[in-house]
Amino acid sequence: MTRKGRRLTLIGAALAIIAFAAALALYALSDSIVFFYGPTEVLQKNPTPGTRLRIGGLVKAGSLVKTEDQKAAFTITDNANNVAVTYQGLLPDLFREGQGVVAEGVLEAPGRFHADTVLAKHDERYMPREVVDALKKQGRWQEGEAKP
Amino acid sequence: MIVEIGHYALTLALALALVQAIVPLWGTLRGDEGLASVGQSCALGQFVAIALSFGALVQAHLASDFSVLNVAENSHSAVPTIYKISGVWGNHEGSMLLWVLILAFFGALVAGLGRGLPLILRANVLAVQGFISAAFLAFILLTSNPFARLSPAPFEGRDLNPVLQDLGLAIHPPLLYLGYVGFSIVFSFAAAALIEGRIDAAWARFVRPFALVAWCFLTLGIAMGSYWAYYTLGWGGFWFWDPVENASLMPWLAGTAFVHSVAVMEKRDALKVWTIFLAILAFSFSLLGTFLVRSGVLTSVHAFASDPSRGVFILAILALFIGGALALFAWRAPMLKRGGLFAPISREGALVLNNLLLTTTCAGVLIGTLYPLALEQLTGEKITVGAPFFNMTCGVLLLMLCVVVPFGQSLAWKRGDLLGVAQRLSVAAAIGLCIFIALFATLRGGPVLAPIAAGLAIYIILGSLSEIAARVWRRGASLGVLFSRARGLPLSAWGSALAHIGVGVTLLGLAATAFGAETIASMRVGEPQNVGPYQVTFQSVASRPGPNYSEVVAKADIRSGGTIVASVEPAKRFFSARQTSTTQAGIATLWFGQLYISIGDQTGDGAVAARLYWKPLVTFIWLGACLMAFGGALSLADRRLRIGAPAPARSGSPAIAAR
Amino acid sequence: MLWVAFALMTGAAILCALWPLSRRRSGPEGQARAIAFHKAQLAEIDRDVERGQLPPSEAAGARAEAARRLIAASDVAKTTAGAGDGRASLRARAAVVIVFVAIPLVTFGLYLKLGSPNLPDQPILARAGAAGNGDLGAALAKIEAHLIADPNDGRGFKVIAPVYMRLGRFDDAAKAFGEALRLLGEDAPMRADYGEALTAAAGGIVTAQARAAFEQALTDRGDLPKARYYIGLAAEQDGDKPKATAIYQKLLADGPAGAPWLANVRERLAGLEAAPAAPGGEAAAIAALDPAAQQSAIRGMVERLAERLAQNGDDAQGWLRLIRAYGVLHETDKARDALVQARKAMTGNETAGRDLDALAREFGLGS
Repeated sequence: MTRKGRRLTLIGAALAIIAFAAALALYALSDSIVFFYGPTEVLQKNPTPGTRLRIGGLVKAGSLVKTEDQKAAFTITDNANNVAVTYQGLLPDLFREGQGVVAEGVLEAPGRFHADTVLAKHDERYMPREVVDALKKQGRWQEGEAKP
Repeated sequence: MIVEIGHYALTLALALALVQAIVPLWGTLRGDEGLASVGQSCALGQFVAIALSFGALVQAHLASDFSVLNVAENSHSAVPTIYKISGVWGNHEGSMLLWVLILAFFGALVAGLGRGLPLILRANVLAVQGFISAAFLAFILLTSNPFARLSPAPFEGRDLNPVLQDLGLAIHPPLLYLGYVGFSIVFSFAAAALIEGRIDAAWARFVRPFALVAWCFLTLGIAMGSYWAYYTLGWGGFWFWDPVENASLMPWLAGTAFVHSVAVMEKRDALKVWTIFLAILAFSFSLLGTFLVRSGVLTSVHAFASDPSRGVFILAILALFIGGALALFAWRAPMLKRGGLFAPISREGALVLNNLLLTTTCAGVLIGTLYPLALEQLTGEKITVGAPFFNMTCGVLLLMLCVVVPFGQSLAWKRGDLLGVAQRLSVAAAIGLCIFIALFATLRGGPVLAPIAAGLAIYIILGSLSEIAARVWRRGASLGVLFSRARGLPLSAWGSALAHIGVGVTLLGLAATAFGAETIASMRVGEPQNVGPYQVTFQSVASRPGPNYSEVVAKADIRSGGTIVASVEPAKRFFSARQTSTTQAGIATLWFGQLYISIGDQTGDGAVAARLYWKPLVTFIWLGACLMAFGGALSLADRRLRIGAPAPARSGSPAIAAR
Repeated sequence: MLWVAFALMTGAAILCALWPLSRRRSGPEGQARAIAFHKAQLAEIDRDVERGQLPPSEAAGARAEAARRLIAASDVAKTTAGAGDGRASLRARAAVVIVFVAIPLVTFGLYLKLGSPNLPDQPILARAGAAGNGDLGAALAKIEAHLIADPNDGRGFKVIAPVYMRLGRFDDAAKAFGEALRLLGEDAPMRADYGEALTAAAGGIVTAQARAAFEQALTDRGDLPKARYYIGLAAEQDGDKPKATAIYQKLLADGPAGAPWLANVRERLAGLEAAPAAPGGEAAAIAALDPAAQQSAIRGMVERLAERLAQNGDDAQGWLRLIRAYGVLHETDKARDALVQARKAMTGNETAGRDLDALAREFGLGS
């Protein structure tokens, strides 16, 4: 093979792989993006039931109910709107009422959400950034609140 | 006084870094050897100064000197000594100091061990290294000074974050930084070659030891971090595709590609421009990782307390070095002489394919990591790109790579015999295929990726072994002859085979996760619960005080067919100083699998919530990584990396690097 | 002593940087290694062929390539050997001068700006003797452990809170007092202690939250000296001198003779009377200084206040004091800046907004 021919084979192989990877990435992206909403956005955007979502906000005080088989139900609120969440499993160490939380799962019906992952804030000084933003949007956030 | 000496030493290090950056460069531009050699002593001096500074900070933490803000915020007089030390780098300021310490260490390594390097190359390498050092020292001093003082000093510190009070923290960041920062030397070599406008196979020989060191440490660092997350977060997961994890994976992928392409360049003087580009890429990804962790653009377990001014500063450093290097690359690369010829079917060709797959994987990770950030900036929509995306893109690409790996090892340079190699690998491939079919049949419609991965893993392991066997085996040779032939194989051959076996072992561990079992249950004392092939019984659940926490401990027996095979004590710890709790998983290693128990809250009626996992072969994931790193270390020890030295090492030390 | 160490370190660094310039060059030793490498590679081709890693048909070509590389490397060795113009000594001298100037300049300049050369080390062991930390620490751990086991024990919190105060862990003390109040019910003296802890945690500033605590304590027990004292301090920090003076005087008049806090109140009162313009408690000390030092001390205090507000702007009184201070110091620009920031920080807080407006009119700052 000539030098040019070799070079062309190389470039051809590179292009083929990149094209394949790009197709793969696009396909995977269309399939596995999860949107992050606050409770108010869930109501406004009204995604179809069955959509995978991440919902962030505060755990409404007094809303946590634990039942047998490690099932838990609680309400995520931004102090304007609420989403009722059910979850089966162990709640994280730092899960507390009145604190920031992010739940990932599937919307079952408008305002009803089944979470398969629940993330609580990680440090007393730390609040998931998405939750802060969602609360700010609702005007429920005052600077300095996250500080101990 | 010690604290202030440490502070002063840090400013001194900045001054030396500036001299190191400017004077040698001036020397090489003017062809002045005297000026060009200034970099060496500066690099050594800078390392001493930063070491002094780091020592002062460690001393302040050990002595619980709360007049130092960094100590007051991240330590406590009651913390055990080991965590007083590891607490030094358990926070932003201290970890940056460790970062530059390692940077200076690599600079000193080039200065001290690189006596055989061409003078101009060494001067330029050290100058670039000096620039990087100066930028980060300025960053530390101006935005994240670990020596900021408090007066009057508080009586007690705020305690180290409980999640970080773990042996894992003592080890994980230093290993990771050795890897991240090690690539700075590779970057400096690339930039130096571009500045000089000349590069040949000898350059690859000089840079390869450094690249291997960095790669080994990065491999170990990532594995260690993964294991730490696995046992400390209590979810039983070992990889979350968290942006910060991705940020460590990207330099690893680019670095792995570099280690392979530099081998081609050393042997065949080919792929020069591409290798230089990879060198820039690997360190750029290291910098990107640093930026993501410290700027606060991400929400992550790893993110340090954010501060916008730091983010902007690091972004400026990022832009300066990546942009500068790429500009230099665009200007100089076309002037580099092209190298050796090879046919597409050859070891070079296989390694090119390896590089293409690794870099596209890397690009996939990059897209998945940055796409949510970009989208949020553009549209305000918040999204996450989850594991399915990464499994789809990276998983498939890396599995494709796994098909090629044994071929690359076995093909000859310049022109390979594909058919012959395929014949040699047919046994390995057949066994792998059988395993795939068997597993696929037992899973019946389960995830298809797992049986494929398992089959490929076996194929890689056997393929790597068969390559070694083919090189050693001669028909009719006696055992003694075979043994001496095996010993005669260069260490780098053993190293690469071992590293590839490591890939297979890790892959096997990953594939096995699909065959595990998981239960979430309300456990009552005395009531058995089945997980996979085992039964778990809690013997007791009780409170127990610890040194700076109190914990609820469950004593659990694990039985297999009625006999106790292991006992574990999962616990939940509560740290009063920070009002937080952590989960201590109880892990029993049974052969290569693990039974993993983490407990949650006690419910009212005396039961305790628990997650129980049976994870077959899970330790293979990390054992494989250790094998990879060990393979890298074996290559590093290869005598050939040292031949060509004009004289034996003068210092008498085993000069592994650049000799 | 410290400066001697600094000077020695600087000297060592300069020597280290200049050391290579003083040595004679021994020629381009490095290229020799590259040449040796290329020779070894040429030799290795035969071994590769023997091991089957290179097809014999390709060996000749590979040898030719390796030989070409060897020749190129030798050429480089020749050209670099002759490189360099004759002005090396001139450049060396220039480099010496640059190093001699740059290293001390960068180092001292930065260190003087960032360092605290006057602060000694304060390891905990050296301080433990004075504070009796060891025993206290053990007792503390015990109570803490107990509280973890029984987090609803209000009395435990009541016991531990003053200990935290003594240790200087004011945040923890405030938390513990808060818990105790929640669990044990309202209790005026404890409410005042809670306010005191909040104040201490804020570095001696009576925050809005602390003030609310003192006011609540006073609604229950109007004669509580601690609460009255802090309300007075708050007034003083707001710059409301007459009110502060009145409260202090009343306290002195009401106080039982020999109460330990009387001296403290007297001191504050004296400070208030001595330095009418200076806000805050360092007034007495400042009044004793000569005018120039006075001015700089006041400026220092104002700067500290500004810094604190920049970090945490949720303090209406603080902003008012800062703007007033700038006004008094005739720093109109800074006052205006602070006003803008204060308005930003106080959006939604109507009272504060009105106060800010009034203050702006008073100093003619416009809007």
